[in-house]
Amino acid sequence: MAQAIETTNLTRRFGNVTAVAGLNLTVRTGEIFGFLGPNGAGKTTTIRMLCGLLLPTEGGARVAGLDVATEAEAVKRLVGYMPQRFSLYGDLTVEENLDFFAGVYRLPGPVRRRRVTETLQRVGLLERRGDLTDHLSGGLKQRLALACALVHSPAILFLDEPTAGADPPSRQRMWDLLYEAAAEGKTILVTTHYVEEAERCQTIGFMHRGRFIAAGSPEQCKANLAEDLLEVDAAPVMEAAALARGLEGVVGVSVYGQGLRVFAKPTAHLRHHLQEVLVARGITVKAIRAVPPTLEDVFMSLTRGTPEGRGDR
Amino acid sequence: MLAVIGHVARKETRQILRDRRTFVLILVMPILLTFLFGKALETGELRQIPSVILNQDGSPESHAIVTAFSNHDEVRIQGEVGTLREAQALLAQGKIKAAIVIPQGFMKQIVAGEEAQLQLLLDGTDNNSAPIVEGVAQRVIQRYNAERAVRGLWARGVRPDRGRRLIQPVYVQTEIRYNPGLRYLSYVMPGVIGLTLQLLTVMLMAVSITRERERGTLDQLLASPITRSELILGKLLPYLGISLLNVVTILFVADRWFNVPVRGRLPLLLLLCALFVLTSLATGLLISAVSRSQFQAIQIAVFYILPVFMLSGAYAPVEAIPETIRPISYLFPLLYFCRAVRAVTLRGADLFLVWKDLAILAGFVLVLLYWAVLSFKKRVA
Repeated sequence: MAQAIETTNLTRRFGNVTAVAGLNLTVRTGEIFGFLGPNGAGKTTTIRMLCGLLLPTEGGARVAGLDVATEAEAVKRLVGYMPQRFSLYGDLTVEENLDFFAGVYRLPGPVRRRRVTETLQRVGLLERRGDLTDHLSGGLKQRLALACALVHSPAILFLDEPTAGADPPSRQRMWDLLYEAAAEGKTILVTTHYVEEAERCQTIGFMHRGRFIAAGSPEQCKANLAEDLLEVDAAPVMEAAALARGLEGVVGVSVYGQGLRVFAKPTAHLRHHLQEVLVARGITVKAIRAVPPTLEDVFMSLTRGTPEGRGDR
Repeated sequence: MLAVIGHVARKETRQILRDRRTFVLILVMPILLTFLFGKALETGELRQIPSVILNQDGSPESHAIVTAFSNHDEVRIQGEVGTLREAQALLAQGKIKAAIVIPQGFMKQIVAGEEAQLQLLLDGTDNNSAPIVEGVAQRVIQRYNAERAVRGLWARGVRPDRGRRLIQPVYVQTEIRYNPGLRYLSYVMPGVIGLTLQLLTVMLMAVSITRERERGTLDQLLASPITRSELILGKLLPYLGISLLNVVTILFVADRWFNVPVRGRLPLLLLLCALFVLTSLATGLLISAVSRSQFQAIQIAVFYILPVFMLSGAYAPVEAIPETIRPISYLFPLLYFCRAVRAVTLRGADLFLVWKDLAILAGFVLVLLYWAVLSFKKRVA
């Protein structure tokens, strides 16, 4: 099967800043590809290049087989784009917004009206069709933005943080809609900060400082974590964390409620060593166990030690 | 192409109509501005220049001179002062623009056949008033001299009608065509109409694309397959409609209130106005296409509009502008608009007489629109 998106050494610089540094990305047709990474990692810049909004400085990308640099306008017809920032007209109604974009995508009269109604129905905004867009809640605005990206039946969807700031039910609803679109065979590239959303993707790519530092299925990413993970139930927890950080082989410690997650280079006897050190300093240790990493652990591990990363050192 | 332009135009129209306050402003402001500008320039001809008389002579002849001055509408004799010092003080305070001084011995000198003097003290800071008062004085004295000479000749047996011909054998016969009253307002009205139309259209268009850029809505548009000309023309159309509405109301005010003749040549005037409005809309779009923010767009628009006020020949003939900078004047469409509208309203010119200016305006429209489309980048910075 042809690849929906393929980039080779995709690079974009703004002055001295390299936002995207030689990215090689492959997204298969029909998959949901999750794009993760801290703020400023280059996710939005990448999406803008893939949509034909921004020219690559070096390298290139093909979307649906078309070159994004030389065939940008043809690419635009085939993709739907939902920008990170809400970009619809607040002084138009829900239906007017959708109808306008359907018209701009050159849907002929009768088809346009049918598609507008269908799409409103699909995202659950049919009853709100006459409301001013400014009056919608954040979650509904995101659904309208998705509708505008969907109305011309694109083969590929680019969604830049489609659930940012939304409450859990709204996020659930958004993901239901994304699965529905994927089930129709659409390829979806979605950026997110929510790790549990990344778990829903078939493939994820961790982006950091303009390049991929890990990619694969969520399971592969977890399996590839080159660190052991210990969950420590100890009190007082902050002192335990400080002690753990000082041990040889420990590369990171995160505090979660009453417990610690200790990342360490694979060693056989760290567990015993840790227990001894903690107990010797008068800390109550209820349990120490090796646990499988979650995607969040992978995320933490990969971005550790960087100013932008939410690492724990 | 046409369908997408229609979608953009419909969307823009909806947004304009929904913003009630701005919409009312767009409709009312041109009428108000035309009225204010017109009113301000209606009295462009100076009258009633405040002046005083210092009559140190007090003779019948000097009283005749004072009466002659008060018969002229250009000066207003506020009263008489007793001393030169008093007159100078009033002049220094700016309370009067001129003092007419009839020195002591004025009549005696005349009777004796010596050279008599009428003195004028003028405030030179106001370079408009001074020459007008001077002109009035020249006319008063010329007439006085002539009548005195006629009387003198009559005393020597020359009949007054023959005496007048002897003194002034040549007369100037003037026939003023086209603007018989030499009304400044009739001359300047096309400039007022043009400036009003331009002010609004350039400003409205200048923020049209930058507003979308600032609100982020341009991102969604740029990601769509809309072409640059579709977007530009779609944005232009609704504003062209509104501006034509403004043209009609402005012409109505000019015609009814200021009595500037527009009737009878309405189709040609409307064509001129439409072309001129298009040049302004295209200028605004060009500004919008190259600006990054609404603030920047307004800045550029102001920097464009101000020189137009001074350099485009809206208030005075372009020939009054020094040759060194006059070429700049020819870059402003307003110059051709004023020239053509003056020809139509004042001289009754027809299409055949103004086709050159029409063609130049049409050329401006095409070049500016093309430039705006080229300057608008369908990529983000």
